[in-house]
Amino acid sequence: MYLNIDAQKDQTYDAIVVGSGISGGWAMKELTERGLRVVCLERGRDVKHIEGYETAMKAPWEFQHRGRPDNMAAEEYWAGMRTGYTANEEHRYLFENDKQNPYLETRGFDWIRAYHVGGRSLLWGRQTYRWNEEDFMANAKDGISVDWPIRYKDLAPWYSHVEKFTGVSGSKDNLSVLPDSDFLPAMELNCLEKHVKGEVMKKMGRTITIGRVAHLTKPQTWHSALGRAACQYRNMCMRGCPFGAYFSTQSATMPAAMKTGRLTLVPNKIVTEVMYDEKKGKATGVRTIDQNTMEVKEYYAKIIFMNASAIPSASILMNSKSSRFPNGLGNDSDQLGRNIMDHHLAVGASGSFDGYGDQYYFGRRPNGVYVPRYRNWGNDKRDYLRGFGYQGGAGRGGWGRGTSIPGFGAAFKESLTEPGGWTMGLGGFGEVIPDESNRFTLHPTQKDKWGLPVVVFDAAYGENERKMRIDMMNDAAEMLEAAGLKNVNTYNDTSKNPGIGIHEMGTARMGKDPKTSVLNANSQVHSCKNVFMTDGAAMTSASCVNPSLTYMALTARAAKFAVDELKKKNL
Amino acid sequence: MNRREALSRVALLMGGTLSAPTLMAFGNNPATLNTSADFVLNDAQRALVSEIADIIIPRTSTPGAKDAKVGPFIELMLKDCYRAQEQQNFVEGLADADARAMKVHNKKFLETTPAEQTALLTQIEKDTMELMKNANVKQVKVGDNVDKEVVEGKKLKGTPFWRLMKELTLFGYFTSEEGATKALNYVPIPGKYEGCIPYKKGDKAYAL
Repeated sequence: MYLNIDAQKDQTYDAIVVGSGISGGWAMKELTERGLRVVCLERGRDVKHIEGYETAMKAPWEFQHRGRPDNMAAEEYWAGMRTGYTANEEHRYLFENDKQNPYLETRGFDWIRAYHVGGRSLLWGRQTYRWNEEDFMANAKDGISVDWPIRYKDLAPWYSHVEKFTGVSGSKDNLSVLPDSDFLPAMELNCLEKHVKGEVMKKMGRTITIGRVAHLTKPQTWHSALGRAACQYRNMCMRGCPFGAYFSTQSATMPAAMKTGRLTLVPNKIVTEVMYDEKKGKATGVRTIDQNTMEVKEYYAKIIFMNASAIPSASILMNSKSSRFPNGLGNDSDQLGRNIMDHHLAVGASGSFDGYGDQYYFGRRPNGVYVPRYRNWGNDKRDYLRGFGYQGGAGRGGWGRGTSIPGFGAAFKESLTEPGGWTMGLGGFGEVIPDESNRFTLHPTQKDKWGLPVVVFDAAYGENERKMRIDMMNDAAEMLEAAGLKNVNTYNDTSKNPGIGIHEMGTARMGKDPKTSVLNANSQVHSCKNVFMTDGAAMTSASCVNPSLTYMALTARAAKFAVDELKKKNL
Repeated sequence: MNRREALSRVALLMGGTLSAPTLMAFGNNPATLNTSADFVLNDAQRALVSEIADIIIPRTSTPGAKDAKVGPFIELMLKDCYRAQEQQNFVEGLADADARAMKVHNKKFLETTPAEQTALLTQIEKDTMELMKNANVKQVKVGDNVDKEVVEGKKLKGTPFWRLMKELTLFGYFTSEEGATKALNYVPIPGKYEGCIPYKKGDKAYAL
C-alpha cells in the first residue's frame, strides 16, 4: 500500500457520487445535467451496457449445470443461496461472492450484494410504486420511531420527474393507497388473472391490478435517444438487458450523464471514508482504496452524494472518524446503522384452477399482478400496525410437474410436452416497522482484505411482522378461494432473515431533529451539510411497496436542492 | 431485487408456473453439506443410467433422453451439485435395479426385455413413493414458484435413487437443445406478450 499524493487539483470535482446503482445513477444524471462536474466512484468492476451482459443471450443448454448452482458456488455464495435464486448460473456473475466479502451475524441478516458499475439496478425486481400520503405520516400517527421531515406533496413532482425518464408501465387505478404514476401502456393480464381480478373485486371489494414495472412497453423519444428499445418479453432481466428495455444505470441514467460530458466514472474504487475539515465544518472529499491494486487515492469536491446502498453508505460514515465525529460522521444521534428495515415476504398462498384449458398466453411477461394494501386502511383495523401488498400471477404448469407424479415412457413424455393446468399464487410483501435494536455495527478488530472493518448484523423481525404474516397467509388463500381456485395451499416461511427482500433501508434515517436522526428534509447530513444521502439508508419508515422509485425521487430532489445551494454559496 | 424470488421475487414474476423442478431439502445450510467431487460412474453404470433415462423419456416423434445425452448430464450434476449421500443413494439404486432384475429374471437389468424393464421400474417407483410417504415427505411451498420438500424424522437418508433419476432425466432432457427445441416450443425472443390466446390440445408447451 502506498499513498498517492497527486496534485489535489487533478482530483477535484464539483461533486462526488459514491456508488453507481439506482440512486447513484440518478445523482450522476441530475448533477451533471445541472452543470456540475461529477466523479462517480464505484467499488466494483465496470460492466459495460450490452457487451458486459455475458449470459444475456445464452440458451439453457449453454449453462454447464443448466442454471443450477453447483456445490462450490453454494459454498462461495452462502448468503445468496438463502434467496434460492441469486446464486444461479444465469446471473451469478452479477452478484457478490460472499466468501470473498464476508459479513457477520449476531442475529441473522440476508445481505445480497452486487458490487459493480450499475449495482443492483441491473438486478432489481423493477416493480415501481409511488408511496402514498399516509406512508409519510405513519410514524407520527402511530407514535413510533420519528416522523418523516417530508410529506407526499414534497415528493410528488419528483415522482413525476423520474417516472417520465425511467418509463413505468402500468394502469391508472385512481387509488389513494397506491397513487398512479405517469404510465406507459400496461402489460396484459392473462385469462386466469382477469378472472380472479373480477371475482375478488365483486366478492371482496379488493383491487387486483397489473404490476407497475420500469419496462418500456412503448419507448418515448427520450428513451430511444438513449438507445433504449421496447421490452421483448424474454423475462431474462437479471442477466442484463441487451435491449435496454428495463431501467438501469447502464441503460438510462449513465448514458444521460455521459452526454453532458461532465461525468467521470471510476470503477474499482472502494470509498473508505469521507474526509472532514474541522475548521471549515464540512466534508472535503473521500478517501478510496483500489480494489485490485490497493492504491490509496483521495478525491475532492464541494458536495458528496452517498449512494452506496443502505449498509455501505452508513458504514462509510461510521468509518469516517474525526475529533468532531468520534462515532462516525454525522452520528451525533447514534442512529447510524440502526432501524434496519426490509420488506418481509415468503408468505402467501397458491392454488389450481379447473378451466381455461383452451386458453394460453404468448411471451414471458417480466411482471405479475399486484394487490394494493387494504389492511389498516380506511375503516379496516387490525391488531398490528401498517399493512402489506401482494405480488403474484397465474400460469400453466410446465414439465417440472412430472417429477412428483408417477409414470414414465412415451405417453408420460408426450403429456409433459403440453402445458399443465392453471395455477395462481399470491405472495405478500409486508411493511417492517423501524426498531432501533435492529442494527449493524462495524467489527472492532476483524477486517476485510482491504483493511476495512467487517459489518456485523443484529436484526430480527418483531411481533408486528409475525402478526401481520397470519393475515398475509390467510387473506391470500381467501382471495384465491373466493375466485374459485382449488387445492389452495398456504405458506409462511419463517426461516428467512431480514434482508431477504433485498430492500435494506433505514440505517441513516431522515428526520426533523438532529438528536434523533441523521439526515434532514433535504437529504443532507444534519451536522455536515455538504454530504447528501439518498439511497435506502435515508428511509424513516418502509411502506409496503417496493422502494426504488422513492430513492430515485429523493435523489433528484436532493440534487436540485444541492445545486441551488451551491449557486447561493451556502455549501 | 428487489429482486425475485423464494420467495423468489423472480419466480413470482414468472407467473407462478410451478415449472421449476422440486428439490429435496434436508436443510439448506451449504456449510453442513457433505460433498464429494470424486464421484465417478463406471462404464456399466453409465450404460444403465442412459438406458433408464431413455425408458423414462424414449424417442418418439421427438428425440429421447439418449439423443439429448441425458446420461452424462446426470453424472455431471450428481458430481457437481449433489451431496455425498445422494451420490451414494444413486449408485446403490443402480445396483438395486440389477439386483431386482437378477432376483426375478436371473439376468442383469440391461439384459431383460423392455416389458420386464418397465415392470421393474414401475415397482421401483411404487416402492419409492411408499418410502417417501412413510418418511412424511411433504411438499411445502416456500414461494410462488419454489417448492421444497421437507422430511420429518430420520426415516429417509437423502433423496432416494428413483427420485434423483427421474428429476434429473426430466431436467436434463427438457433443458437440452434437443428437448427444448423439438419436444417443446422454444421461443428465445417472443418480442410481445399476449395474455389470452386460444390453446388447442396437442400444441406444445413453452420451453422457457
